[in-house]
Amino acid sequence: MDKKRIVITGLGIISSVGIGKEAFTENIFKGISGIKPITSFDTAPFKVKDAGEISNFAPEAILGPKGLRTLDRSIKLVASSAKLALDDSGLEITEANSRDTGIAIGTTFGSLSSICDFDKEALTEGVRYVNPALFPNTVINSPASQASIKFNIKGFNITVSSGFSASLDALNYALDALRNDRVKIALCGGVEEFCIQEFLGFYKAGCLTDTRGIVLGEGAGILILEELNAALARKAKIYAELLGFGSAIQDLKKSMQLSLEEALLTPEKIDYISSAANSAEEFGVSEAKAIEELFGEKAKTIPVSSIKPLVGELFSASGSLQVTAAISALEKQAVPPILLNQAKASKIENILINAAGKTGSNSSLIISKFKGY
Amino acid sequence: MYKRVVITGLGVVSSIGIGKDDFWKALTAGTSGISKVSSFDTSEYPTHYGGEVKGFNSEAKNMGRASQLAIASAKLALSDAGIKLDNPGLAETGVVIGTTMGESQVLEKLNDAWVKKGTEAIDPALIPQYPCNVLSLNVAKELKLNGPNLVIPNACAAGNYAIGYAYDLIRMARVDTMLAGGTDAFSRIAFIGFNRLLAVAPEKCQPFDKNRKGMLVAEGSAMILIETLEAALKRGAQIYAEILGYGLSCDAHHMTAPFSEGIEEAIEKALKQSKIPPERIDYFSAHGTGTPANDREECGAIKKVFGDYSKKLPVSSIKSMLGHTMGAASAIEAVACALSVKNDIIPPTINFQTPDPECNIDCVPNVARAARVDVALNSASAFGGNNACLVLKKF
Repeated sequence: MDKKRIVITGLGIISSVGIGKEAFTENIFKGISGIKPITSFDTAPFKVKDAGEISNFAPEAILGPKGLRTLDRSIKLVASSAKLALDDSGLEITEANSRDTGIAIGTTFGSLSSICDFDKEALTEGVRYVNPALFPNTVINSPASQASIKFNIKGFNITVSSGFSASLDALNYALDALRNDRVKIALCGGVEEFCIQEFLGFYKAGCLTDTRGIVLGEGAGILILEELNAALARKAKIYAELLGFGSAIQDLKKSMQLSLEEALLTPEKIDYISSAANSAEEFGVSEAKAIEELFGEKAKTIPVSSIKPLVGELFSASGSLQVTAAISALEKQAVPPILLNQAKASKIENILINAAGKTGSNSSLIISKFKGY
Repeated sequence: MYKRVVITGLGVVSSIGIGKDDFWKALTAGTSGISKVSSFDTSEYPTHYGGEVKGFNSEAKNMGRASQLAIASAKLALSDAGIKLDNPGLAETGVVIGTTMGESQVLEKLNDAWVKKGTEAIDPALIPQYPCNVLSLNVAKELKLNGPNLVIPNACAAGNYAIGYAYDLIRMARVDTMLAGGTDAFSRIAFIGFNRLLAVAPEKCQPFDKNRKGMLVAEGSAMILIETLEAALKRGAQIYAEILGYGLSCDAHHMTAPFSEGIEEAIEKALKQSKIPPERIDYFSAHGTGTPANDREECGAIKKVFGDYSKKLPVSSIKSMLGHTMGAASAIEAVACALSVKNDIIPPTINFQTPDPECNIDCVPNVARAARVDVALNSASAFGGNNACLVLKKF
């Protein structure tokens, strides 16, 4: 069976280093960090004070002022990045194509603050005082579902929770849906919000420390995928082609290998690796080892970098930001910071992106500069 | 070429029975699994009934109840399929699980501690048990399954989404065998929410009845072993049914209100992919929550898609017996469909007394029915207007 060729034709990013793909990529390449003192709650009781919070996010500027009142942060992040991505792609969802458009969002916590606040309201004020209008926010698929309602996306609507790899897994779901003719246009990506509940979770579990632990971030990224011929027919801007995907449980070597096999590429063809390394030392070491084992001698000559020191660990949303940064690496023919080795790229055509963490599922994706037929 | 995909193992943990044999016996006898809620004190709540699984004990440690339910049903599915836990093929097998609330009970414990005693009282050991991706990881770890691993938290249609994606992965030859299904533990947060939406029935769930008063929150899990037809034939496996296709749609209309147009769309897509005309469906397993709006909209969609045949088509809701098991519901209903196709018996809609002109369908009232079932359609809808329909055929 001939595989359909699938390309990326739109990007929308809301991040702590910039809103919109231009601001995001410019600032990433300048090495500007979004990590700063936490403002959404008082950090006095905690040893950790910093995170990659988005401080200038004004959803009404992107979505208009109407209908936002009962929506929570995760929903606004997804809806805003979807709007930016749709605008960027030049696509309009109308009655004619709404049934051929789907959305796949990677998130593991969903609207964690909404879920906790809803339960805590019942515990402190009593069940009869809980606002029923806030209940729909407590389902993990509320961000994707609200985006569907806002933009009339009727083809499918799915949320994927697989921890650190969820953005890439959602992207792969969208790829499969396009290849299997379920839809013609797919929005995909991921979201995680920063909130005290998430902070407490990672903090109490010992994952955040002032020296060697991870730094949390937040944000959302949405990519628009289309079949190549459809994109060419409408003269869309083609950012990159999706060549291969692989996933494995706590085995980055295997996920990278599977992505190379699907892409029909040998390791020599990879020009840059977007690493999943966060500031947790132990995980960085294991990823470096997996790269070395798979790429052998070549490992020393492939540039490897991670944007996580700049944006923080976005957990299920990380992959969507990495793909966006990788696309700008194709455009600029330069490797985004923060470099993890000394290798230099002469040209950048094929990029391998790893979405992984210390535990759970690992996924790898290969994107390529679109070279025409 | 796409591969043909069949169901060869069924595992269920439910309020009316654990294991497919007890479950099917209770289901065809019209047994109710509804009782007074015992997971927490409901005296402050407007309603007090739900569908809890009694007598379920798990030896799996350091995890929440939703994972324990999923592990138990996964083991039952493997053993039903005749696959031993030391089978080397399991290393390549994947797991996809649908859920609505994830490990809600773990989060509720964390919230209890936080509210009563402050952040200092939060037990760090509980934290890693919460993120909902642990559901499929716990099953994978317990059974040593290293294939594709995902949780799809697509609310109350999640089981069908999970089974559908597993079917796609096998059909496209990415993997030969998958365990797919759904799980949810009895959730206080869901119980609060549905009560506040005034969607909960006082005691009985009465789908399609003129006097139906709502749904009942419940828990449970079902996991289904799915594999290529080739592999199943090669190992001489019993085949319950072939999966012919599925259809997804999103209403893009309202977060909580069901909407017949979107349901129609999902049914039509499922029929189209399965290449089955509407009249060939012998059993329609409804989402049938028992809320006035759901049953009205769903019956509207059935009438639209099936036309005159809708009067003859048997449509039942096993939620009348189990209540609404959330993300597990459509997976448990898929098990019921597979058994219906295998045994030529249609499970009933119990608690049915008064016909409703708005639900003018044959709901197989109160008593199971012996009838030839070649093709069954399993329908599910969810918060966010998400619909998923699955088509199973006798092999």
